[in-house]
Amino acid sequence: MAAVTDTAMSQPAPRIRKERFWYPYLLIAPTMITLVIVSLIPFLYAIYLSFHKAKYGRVGDFIWFDNYAGLLADERFWSAISTAGIFVAIAVPVEFMLGLAGAMVLNHGVRGRSVLVPLLFIPTMMAPIVVGLLWKIMLAGSWGFISYNVLERFGILGETSIFASPHLALGALIFVDIWQWTPFMMLAFFAGLQALPLGPYRAAAVDGANGAQIFFRLTLPMMSPLLAVIGLLRLIDAFKVFDTVFILTGGGPGIATESPSVLAYKMTFEFWNIGEASALAVLVWIAFFVFCNAFYQIAKKRLNAF
Amino acid sequence: MNATTGRSNPLWTVLAVLYAFAILFPVIWMASMMFKPADVMFARPTVFLFTPTLEHFDYVIELGFVWNLLTSFLLCTISTALVVLIGTPAAYAFARFEMRGKDDLFLFILASRMGPPVCLVIPFYLIFAKIGLIDTFAGLTLAYMTFNLSFYVWVLRSFCRDLPVELEEAAALEGWSRPQIFRRVVFPLLRNGIVATAVLCFIFAWNEFLFAFMLGGKTVQTLPVAIPKLITSQGVRWGEMAVVGIVALVPVLAVVIALQRHIVRGLTLGAVKG
Repeated sequence: MAAVTDTAMSQPAPRIRKERFWYPYLLIAPTMITLVIVSLIPFLYAIYLSFHKAKYGRVGDFIWFDNYAGLLADERFWSAISTAGIFVAIAVPVEFMLGLAGAMVLNHGVRGRSVLVPLLFIPTMMAPIVVGLLWKIMLAGSWGFISYNVLERFGILGETSIFASPHLALGALIFVDIWQWTPFMMLAFFAGLQALPLGPYRAAAVDGANGAQIFFRLTLPMMSPLLAVIGLLRLIDAFKVFDTVFILTGGGPGIATESPSVLAYKMTFEFWNIGEASALAVLVWIAFFVFCNAFYQIAKKRLNAF
Repeated sequence: MNATTGRSNPLWTVLAVLYAFAILFPVIWMASMMFKPADVMFARPTVFLFTPTLEHFDYVIELGFVWNLLTSFLLCTISTALVVLIGTPAAYAFARFEMRGKDDLFLFILASRMGPPVCLVIPFYLIFAKIGLIDTFAGLTLAYMTFNLSFYVWVLRSFCRDLPVELEEAAALEGWSRPQIFRRVVFPLLRNGIVATAVLCFIFAWNEFLFAFMLGGKTVQTLPVAIPKLITSQGVRWGEMAVVGIVALVPVLAVVIALQRHIVRGLTLGAVKG
């Protein structure tokens, strides 16, 4: 981490005069203490639990890596990882591409942006539980608006509800995620496009560059750190999807739509296998930390945002 | 504005409007269900025109959803106020001062924002059960700090960095003390940023489900948690769910209209200046 700190020092951080060395620490102390209590201690406790035999709320013997071994041997764990993998691998790129295309459209002169933009924020800012509710209504068995008027009419859906078929259920969850997050990607990329400098575009116009050249040689390279940061953020968020799955399918049918978050939830509050659930939580946490760090480094070095 | 922006293209405008309508259609549909009588709710083919009824509202009030609403409001207000109180000095310090290990501290804050809530809810549940914080305002306020305090510090720091340091330097030359400078120079300039970030925190707390579901209970039952309550043994009360869903949406609508410039910055944790 030494290298990281060095870059922070060399970066033009605004400074006033020399302050007593403890002063900034005093200002951050309440935040850091609170976060140690609400975030670090639970994390350490989860690590502690993951090394113990813990079932039904009773913490037993220290068992080294048995919980981890049990978890890695559990097909359900791998199924959850691959479900989340499929979910993320389809939803995020689609949101990304549609978002970028939408941002270009918005940027190419759309009338009434001041009305459109707030409307497009609505799906993203909604409570995930309400999002789930909305789509439960739209996709419900025989009477759901889309089930009846679209899916049945065009013969996509047979007899059953969309959430009763393993593939369709996962597809529906991916669709809901795309519905919820594409507008956000669009608006975030749009904000990025609006902030691009004019100079290079003038130069390109003088050189007679065509639209594709301008996009691939100018817009894309200039946007790339921003695209990376927003993509990473979405990746992290998509991987931990819980609320919408919880209300729409509860992980079912069977375990077809069980994401790691849903599995950890069930392991804890349905099977009360707290040891293994904690092991899962710790593994997911570590994976997240890697992504998190990547997000931070790109945002700081390439975007100079932090 | 960049060079590609120019005259508006009617085709793109039509496309954008259609897209917005398609995106919002489920919300509009749910809003119509608030007034839809139970007998046409499940009709095949779908019934578009009906005589509106208020029966769902009556039932929602009868079930005591006003209490859920009040609980949600109280909880979100308390936790947001605490976040502002604790987080504002930290955000300012992270933007203005050099500290040893600042990067690592800052990354720790980010990590507590990004960690999946389900991983936190397990230790929280066990610890809270031991010390009697389950189903209390204090417990949930504490739990909400994990994502909201870290969020607040991150985003407000980006607002702090936008402030010109010269003003503070001038005030320091005048011999003002540090708290005076903060109160009279920094705070007035930062006020909009504080309000915007705090409102986003309020919305995150308002929307939160998992913590409220697992760490709440009969006393502290927020609005999102009350929604699954309408899945009863006699069937699902869809009309009532629509009412609660739309009520839960009202603050969100107010915020997207009032705060649109700041939402992108907030949701990208300050990486994109909206």
